[in-house]
Amino acid sequence: MEKLYIKFDEWQNFLNGKLKENKIYAPIENGLIPIYEILNEENFKKIVYDKARTVEPFKIFLYPFKERIVPEVENIDKIVVMGVTACDLKGLEILDRVFKEGDFKDPNYTKRRENIIIISFDCKEPYPTCFCSLVGIKPYPEKNFDLNLCKTENGFVVEIGSEKGRDFIGKDTRFYQASESQIREREEERNKVIRKIEEMNRDFDFKNIEDLKGIYQKEYWEKLKDIENCVSCGSCTFNCPTCVCFLLEDITDVGNFRKVKVWDSCLFPGYARMASGATPRPSLFERYGNRLLCKYWYMMENFGILGCTGCGRCISGCIGKIDKRKVITEILREKVKI
Amino acid sequence: MDQNIYKPIKCEVIDNIKESPTINTIVLKPEKEFSFLAGQFASLTVPGFGEAPFTPSSSPFDREKLEFTVMRVGRVTEKIHQLKKGDIVGVRGPYGKPYPLEKFKGKEILLVGGGVGLAPIRALFLALVETYKDYKKIVFCCGARTPQDYIYKDKIFGEWQNLCEKMPLSFRITVDKKDKTWKYMEGVVTCTLDGLDIDVKNAVSVVCGPPIMMKFTTLKLLEIGFSEKDIYLSMERKMYCGVGHCRHCLIGDLFVCKDGPVFTYEELKDKPNIWV
Repeated sequence: MEKLYIKFDEWQNFLNGKLKENKIYAPIENGLIPIYEILNEENFKKIVYDKARTVEPFKIFLYPFKERIVPEVENIDKIVVMGVTACDLKGLEILDRVFKEGDFKDPNYTKRRENIIIISFDCKEPYPTCFCSLVGIKPYPEKNFDLNLCKTENGFVVEIGSEKGRDFIGKDTRFYQASESQIREREEERNKVIRKIEEMNRDFDFKNIEDLKGIYQKEYWEKLKDIENCVSCGSCTFNCPTCVCFLLEDITDVGNFRKVKVWDSCLFPGYARMASGATPRPSLFERYGNRLLCKYWYMMENFGILGCTGCGRCISGCIGKIDKRKVITEILREKVKI
Repeated sequence: MDQNIYKPIKCEVIDNIKESPTINTIVLKPEKEFSFLAGQFASLTVPGFGEAPFTPSSSPFDREKLEFTVMRVGRVTEKIHQLKKGDIVGVRGPYGKPYPLEKFKGKEILLVGGGVGLAPIRALFLALVETYKDYKKIVFCCGARTPQDYIYKDKIFGEWQNLCEKMPLSFRITVDKKDKTWKYMEGVVTCTLDGLDIDVKNAVSVVCGPPIMMKFTTLKLLEIGFSEKDIYLSMERKMYCGVGHCRHCLIGDLFVCKDGPVFTYEELKDKPNIWV
């Protein structure tokens, strides 16, 4: 893919010019982890280019928490989203499989997907909860973006990922072909970040993750005392870039059909409960186990893609302070023992 | 843009028949043709109130009307029982895989239905009756808790039995607990399988009913010699979308809405908590 270079100040000017005609979301300084804001002439100077993923998962731009689905949303804005990281772009593959690429296409998602421009960033300063190395993902985007930005000392290496991305730059002469040394600087930076993430995760072992296959029995999960701290709040699912579960609700509008789609969480006790009152997963351990089986096994069967991207939001957002990496490392060891 | 997958087809309620103390059959006239194959299901919307999945109980060959036999167990089904002639509801679908009738050709077919589980079996039975020459014989085993709990009373105890004269069809009818007027068997539905004259090597069985009934019927069928791949079960799970998006209906990695709702026991046997 074509690689360009732009100096930092020139990029700031370029982006400032883009603000007038585009609705742009970008990660903004917010303590440890940046959060998304709509850009304006003030906050665009506070864009964070050199950390890792944002607080919110990227899916919120394509699949909002609650939206009307019948009739479908009519006016879907064209938006630009900056700062999307490799983990969220991997999640995008699952979202596309579910909502766009199957026999049944979700009307709102399909439209939003057409109307979005994705400007991804390399990860520079991974957080202690990052673990993409354990699930085979690199901390820099390799596909699924329109443009990718890698911050170097004085500017950005800009990689063009699609025609949409190329059009966004247009014929702007502030961008020029990246030199070999600029690209080499990017590769060296990237390798440093990989090593950092590997080092942070050296106590965890996902090597035999496919051994999770078939561990339905609650007896296995009950051995993991950490799971007792789960309060079924649903934070791990709502923050997950690949969790897609939702429920449909009919809203009152006499004589017309109106339905809304709202995120749901398999950690909620009522998630799979039927009208009879019966549920296939009455205990917390079964529900927690089910989520991991869904991520590391069912999604693999359903889409051929692992349902975990190593973003770590399920760990940093957990009220019960459960470190999923530890749970998985332990359950894989338990399985060997039993 | 394609048609919105969640937009239902409007249907007028043309009848609401009380089948038993807890079960009604609603008869709908869809605004445009709605066709389905036996075993497939549809989502029924009471506008402004809610939606739930049901398998139609009418004949797949009936292009004029669509029927759903619904047990009153929750919020939406309560509302469905209150529907009156002229009310408008919505239907979307059909979804899921039907009974594989191609594979049933030339075989003996054993239908086992319990309680409201007779509803999907009725759609299948009516389809089989239309094409009865394709099958060696049909044995229909029916069960319910008490004689009052039977649905389709005028059919099961009348009209359908008359069909036995013109095709290789027989009925085995039971109730868990009989009353004075009852003239058929007494005992849970598995007792209709005792002394059954069926060539298990060339037969398929189709089971639908409450989970506990499906469990023990399956065990009994295995005991009589049915192979796991010849036992067809119609599964039920919490379901919203019907199209494999919302993931509520997963049994292990299988979607009830997309891979089912009809599964063979062979497909399900290693999955978690199937008898719920």
